[in-house]
Amino acid sequence: MLICQVVKPLVSTNRIPDFEHKHLQVVQDGSTQKVAVDAVGCIPGDWVICVGSSAAREAAGSKSYPSDLTIVGIIDHWDPDAGKASPLPAATPASQGGAA
Amino acid sequence: MEIMQVTGSLVCSQRVPGLEHWNLRVLRSTKGKFSVAVDPVGASPGNWVFTASGSAARFACGNPETHTDLTIGGIIDFWEPDG
Repeated sequence: MLICQVVKPLVSTNRIPDFEHKHLQVVQDGSTQKVAVDAVGCIPGDWVICVGSSAAREAAGSKSYPSDLTIVGIIDHWDPDAGKASPLPAATPASQGGAA
Repeated sequence: MEIMQVTGSLVCSQRVPGLEHWNLRVLRSTKGKFSVAVDPVGASPGNWVFTASGSAARFACGNPETHTDLTIGGIIDFWEPDG
């Protein structure tokens, strides 16, 4: 699953019938923008979790729905800079010293 | 789904039966990468479209037996690429 931020709704009048009238959202995944089917009802600025592959199809409504990315949840609280500020606890100098 | 721009059509007479007679379009991603997609909607060069990839592409063209991994899902009404 991906953590993405909702950018804006995507309007597409001329679409294949299989997409029905479900809402589509432009989401930001790092530096790239993708389109996701909105199964929960989110608004621009929300941090959301998205599923891919066949889980995206079922999450969007049915096993034959043609989605490859579906928003399945809105994250209550998310700080995008929290992980970047401190390094992962696994890579400590103490463990490297013990191995050598 | 990815956002891509249609750059042209692709003529391909000799093809596997699994591709049927689908129209093929050449698409360019926002990062400049080219790919080929099945087009069930009838997009024109210059149109911005969104595409379904992987197994969703097979359902998007209406027949899950079609041998595609990229299908145009719809034409975006209004899109201004950044930069």
